[in-house]
Amino acid sequence: MNFLKKVPTQILPLAEAQLSLSNKSALHTSAVCCRVQSGRYRITVKRDRPLTYEMANPPHFIGHRKSWNSWNTSTLKDALRPSQTAIEDVFIRKFVTGTWHALVCSEIIIKRQHNTIRIAAIIRQAISPRKMYFLIGYTEELLSYWMQCPVTLEFQTVADKKDVVFKYI
Amino acid sequence: MAANLARLLECNIRCNNAAAVQSGWRLFSNQRQQQTEVEDDEEFRVLNLRTIKQQARRREIKKNAVQPPRTSRMPVDQDWTAVWSGPRSFHPASVPLPLRQGYTERGAAAPSKYANAELMKIPNFLHLTPPAIRQQCEAIKKFCTPWPKGLETEAKWKRPFPIEVITTDYCHSLPTIRHPEARRVTITLKLSDLKFDAHAKDKFLRLVGERYNQETGVLTFSADRCPMRKQNYDYAMYLLTACYHESFVTEPWEATKSEADMEVYQFERNQAKRSAEGILNWNATGEQKDAPSANYAKSVEALINEGENEYNIAKYKEEVLKMLKIAI
Repeated sequence: MNFLKKVPTQILPLAEAQLSLSNKSALHTSAVCCRVQSGRYRITVKRDRPLTYEMANPPHFIGHRKSWNSWNTSTLKDALRPSQTAIEDVFIRKFVTGTWHALVCSEIIIKRQHNTIRIAAIIRQAISPRKMYFLIGYTEELLSYWMQCPVTLEFQTVADKKDVVFKYI
Repeated sequence: MAANLARLLECNIRCNNAAAVQSGWRLFSNQRQQQTEVEDDEEFRVLNLRTIKQQARRREIKKNAVQPPRTSRMPVDQDWTAVWSGPRSFHPASVPLPLRQGYTERGAAAPSKYANAELMKIPNFLHLTPPAIRQQCEAIKKFCTPWPKGLETEAKWKRPFPIEVITTDYCHSLPTIRHPEARRVTITLKLSDLKFDAHAKDKFLRLVGERYNQETGVLTFSADRCPMRKQNYDYAMYLLTACYHESFVTEPWEATKSEADMEVYQFERNQAKRSAEGILNWNATGEQKDAPSANYAKSVEALINEGENEYNIAKYKEEVLKMLKIAI
């Protein structure tokens, strides 16, 4: 009870009453559940971790400093197929990053309009244009077969990975 | 049998060996002996233990020449609709505008359009510039027909087309274009557009029930029980037609409607009329009988249907005095 000595006298009776009501120790031993970590990056000692603009802005800036990576109407009220659309988007992301291995420099942006799916991303110019054209056709063909709708790839290319770096932390 | 097989195998192996020697393959080696060259230069081969390392020269990474952005070669008076014909994600090499997008700390310039994912995310309307819209309007103009004459204003076209059909179309981004909510059909029309007699109107209003809005006088039929819009429209029109024609049918049991079933007080059917006639024809001997005036009937109906208020009572008093010829 010694630590209560520092408390101003007005609060003291209240604090004592609370203490007397709950005599149990309030020690939490579980993991911290309220920690928010996703989409945030730690600062390195050398300050050499490259971040794109997308990575530099944490998720609570979506709609303010950056916008969404998936554009569709499934998230509207009473819209159809919200879960299927989300799963399909995850699949498209995995497929494109795997097919364009070590070439995708940005997030994959999936925009759906009516029945077409438009996929945009920034690609490194590490392979020959011929291979790139093949991969575009391959990706479009397979994805449109799986999604049962036309798929268009709209890629932008950069010469170097460092072109998309926004800052180093 | 076994002896035969062994002989056959032996023969096979011998043949193979001969072929291998002749064709220049050294057995147990993975390198091809180049007989012709050896015969030509007639030199001893040098044992080079580092052959493999020397052969694996470091490959020079050859970068393909990248074309400069198309914007640098665009004429000022180009046809933009040919450059950007349809909806497309932003591409910096095709858009000759010095765009910038993105949030930076105070003082720093926003990220440029090159390698800017934010510009690719947001929907753009570069394919819907005013010239493009004008061009598309010109193209579809040949499919248009002139507006019918005589239907210029709403008041004019409301007369021949009294029924309003309300449906909803849904545009969404899914592999399917169907939406289950698109099947709902609502048709509305004013009750005054239908022609009734007194009995039919009464019966029609009883049949439609809550579909008639008394305050606005609008009938509303909505149908959503069928899976397709066309079926629902047909059903709503069928409901309207059936109710209208059914209201003109008089069933035999309708004649048994008693005074207790009446929804409004009618002077013609009631004791008030008989009493008034009795007073008017008091001690009358002739064949002709006086009937209470129409104004009196109206005032009695108003008094009972609308309730007793100051105006109705005053009117009733006036009519009674007039009928009994009492001067105050």
